[in-house]
Amino acid sequence: MTRRDFVGYGTTALAMAGAGELLSGCATTQRAGPGGPGGGSDGPSQSIGYFARFGVDETLIRETLAAALSRGGDYSDLFFQHRVSTSMALEDGAVNKAFTTVELGVGVRVIKGDQTGYAYTEELTLEAMRSAARTAAAIADGPSRPGPQRLHVFKDIPQRYVLKLGWDAVRPEQKLPILEGLNAAAFKADKRVSKVTLSFSDEHGAVLVADSNGRLVEDVQPMTSLYLSCVAEQNGKREQNTYGVAGRAGLDFYSPERLDRMVREAVSRTTILFEAIQPPAGELPVVLAAGSSGILLHEAIGHGMEADFNRKGTSIYADKLNKPIAHPFVNIVDDGTNEYARGAINVDDEGNEPGKTMLVENGVLTTYLHDSISAKHYKVKPTGNGRRESYRYAPLPRMRSTYMLPGPHKHDEIIASVKKGIYCTNFTNGQVNIGAGDFTFYVKNGYLIEDGKLTRPIKDVNIIGNGPKVLEKVDMVADDLVIDEGGWTCGKDGQGVPVSQGIPTVRVASITVGGRNA
Amino acid sequence: MSTTNTTNLADVARQAVDLARQKGASEAAATANRTRDVEMQWRDGRLDKVSEATTRGLSLQLYVDGRYSAVATSDLRPEALERFITDSIAMTRVLARDEHRRLPEPEFYAGRSAVDLAIEDPRQEKLTADERQRFVRELEAGARAADTKSAILSVTTAFGDTLREMYRVSSNGFEGGLRGTQFVASAQVSAQDPDGRRPEESDFAVARFFEDLPDAATLGRRAGERALGRIGSTKGASAVLTMAVDNRAAGRLVSMLLGPMSGGAIQQKRSFLDGKLGQPVGSGLLVLTDEPHVKRGLGSRLFDGEGITARPLPLFEGGVLRTYFIDTYYGRKLKARPTSGSASNLSWKLGSKGQGELLADLKEGVLVTGFLGGNSNPVTGDFSLGVQGFRVRGGKRAEPIGEMNISGNQLDLWKRLVAVGSDPYVNSAMRTPTLVFEGVQFAGV
Repeated sequence: MTRRDFVGYGTTALAMAGAGELLSGCATTQRAGPGGPGGGSDGPSQSIGYFARFGVDETLIRETLAAALSRGGDYSDLFFQHRVSTSMALEDGAVNKAFTTVELGVGVRVIKGDQTGYAYTEELTLEAMRSAARTAAAIADGPSRPGPQRLHVFKDIPQRYVLKLGWDAVRPEQKLPILEGLNAAAFKADKRVSKVTLSFSDEHGAVLVADSNGRLVEDVQPMTSLYLSCVAEQNGKREQNTYGVAGRAGLDFYSPERLDRMVREAVSRTTILFEAIQPPAGELPVVLAAGSSGILLHEAIGHGMEADFNRKGTSIYADKLNKPIAHPFVNIVDDGTNEYARGAINVDDEGNEPGKTMLVENGVLTTYLHDSISAKHYKVKPTGNGRRESYRYAPLPRMRSTYMLPGPHKHDEIIASVKKGIYCTNFTNGQVNIGAGDFTFYVKNGYLIEDGKLTRPIKDVNIIGNGPKVLEKVDMVADDLVIDEGGWTCGKDGQGVPVSQGIPTVRVASITVGGRNA
Repeated sequence: MSTTNTTNLADVARQAVDLARQKGASEAAATANRTRDVEMQWRDGRLDKVSEATTRGLSLQLYVDGRYSAVATSDLRPEALERFITDSIAMTRVLARDEHRRLPEPEFYAGRSAVDLAIEDPRQEKLTADERQRFVRELEAGARAADTKSAILSVTTAFGDTLREMYRVSSNGFEGGLRGTQFVASAQVSAQDPDGRRPEESDFAVARFFEDLPDAATLGRRAGERALGRIGSTKGASAVLTMAVDNRAAGRLVSMLLGPMSGGAIQQKRSFLDGKLGQPVGSGLLVLTDEPHVKRGLGSRLFDGEGITARPLPLFEGGVLRTYFIDTYYGRKLKARPTSGSASNLSWKLGSKGQGELLADLKEGVLVTGFLGGNSNPVTGDFSLGVQGFRVRGGKRAEPIGEMNISGNQLDLWKRLVAVGSDPYVNSAMRTPTLVFEGVQFAGV
């Protein structure tokens, strides 16, 4: 493990959150905040929202902000977070391990121009918070500026993931039947299935942003995910594959239909690998199936449109604003507003309101994705893309749910148009070099297309291309947009945040397929 | 190993084990940790970001009525901690019993070496903001000194230092602590390519001791040269070629091999190395030992995450697979003796030639200097990885290549290992030398 991950500004990865240890999960009996943001127009009191949860009050927040501005920073914010994550795992037929993580802390950020000072503490006492604030304050070196005299609650935030029952109120016993049922169903679905593992995760989180303008914003942030992974054996050969679902949702997310789909997909995506080959190596037309193929947008375009890379002049898109970069039927958005989606947010981690941001409109690059530093630099309103993994990190411009809008073509028409190419249906990960624009995504399942028809299944192949070049080569877009239900996590500067992605069926005229020539 | 100043952590861990036992756990182990981290980033002639923090935390393994859970918290307020442990034990009780979930047998704690690993540099405590800033400035100056064509767009440099402390206590007799420092310096350089690309490259160094970092100007210059070397990169034709992998990049290939060596992967039938113990997996040049007691080593340790005493462990001898990384739990499931759950430092049987001589020997092929994305199927060993690097022509590094892939199967790849360099990469616990493989499938145009 090298520190390059922390300071590695160049390479950004989108990885599927596997059935990881720790993190994610159910809740213990922490005091719950009310379902929505607290507060009223008459300003804060000791009893609103999470003051009680964090054990801090208004005076303490004001004093901390004053210490943060003690050396003349332009702006400061505090990011309080309390998150209880639990995961339960099934292996060899039994739910026999569980992991819980509790995070509590506050990050103090001071901005001077576009310079950032950052510190955090996990001890929420005045002494510790003031000390962190003074550390962050050292980025500036001028006379002290006053902190806010009064705090006001910003209360008109949307509610995109209201739960009937918060994860802090769900008992572990309520989750066990889901796991046991899926395990039995997976073994029943196909005799070749020899091992099944499951990981059920949920989070009950609360954040409070307080800034030097006196603004207070609160949010309750639920999250859940479930992964089903199978190993199958046939004639002495083994294969494995996984299907996962995730959302900012509650227990009712796991409907019978969704659970059935999980079993069907996980098993069929595993067993089909026995028939699958690696496709030929070299440049080929590539058709991307509707849904998780949105990974192409995330890697090829999305990261390059994050404003920090452009502000620094290091993105391949740095001089392409308001220029055509794709066919006119290509429209790409980054959207924080999809209800219950994994990439949805009510507020970003700077307390700004997220909306639906058109990145590419009729083939023209229209805006970057901004946090408050880049918004100030470009003199635009923040787009609500300032996100962070936790209080341990300063926010950065990050994607939310990135997808392409429907286009003029039909799925069948696209498949029929390809003489020899591949159709990609399922992916595990991707990565991009922002400046060079080279990106990859890894195809776990797909098919060869021969003479306009899907023929042999394919597997395990990395696709590599160059963002702007590939975007220009997106020459057919169908009308069947699907936003993927999978649990994607985007990595940047060593920080992971939950994201969603989607795309209609799309044809890329040619791209390098890393297969094997016999 | 120094154990000074871990007293406080030792108390936290002991108290947590006691509390867990009082609240109903039959066995418990606790690890208390604290990390002090300072980082300074510098960009294009001025300070970009400074961050500084101390993280503390407690993780616990709870064994309750034959059931198991692992929990961690940063909320160490006494009432919160007590409630957390009570709730965690209640949660554990609803899980299925698992006879294999127990602490390691105490015999595995025995025989701990008394060697001084020399992984804590007292210099870290005394480093000043000025010294850190001087380092990042010199890194930038070094990078810009490499730029004879005015092609550099932006330089970001960073310096960070960390002190990590941990103390572990288990209810069946293990106690042990560790303190270690780490210094990291990096330079990231973005250059302008005439075709509109902005290739970026970096160089970095990691060391346990400040004095072991390379000089900032040299490190910065290497980053600058690497970025400028990417200008004009092209996609070559698809072909089967000899591949040299730079020592810095080779760790990516080795990690594909180590993951499937875990006891969990074997027991869960998710490993292409299952059933391969005692069999040749690579060519005779693949000779690897896990060596936990390397002085100043980045992965050095006296015990592993469970408290099992660290010992040198032969992994591959003459290409033959000698062991798996077996922890206590999967050891019981597999009815195998635990070795250790993870690797520490790798020690390679090195060759006698540096990279230049190896390239001269291979004449025509590709030098891979970096990987981009891709994956390896741990069950079958099939892999497909994005690569960048240089063509090798007439035994010398020629034009830069990018946007290419390699594909194959690991059981085949490691048998194609035809040369091992003399140049272990010291910035990683894997300490990989330059590796040369014959007959690798490249995909490009």
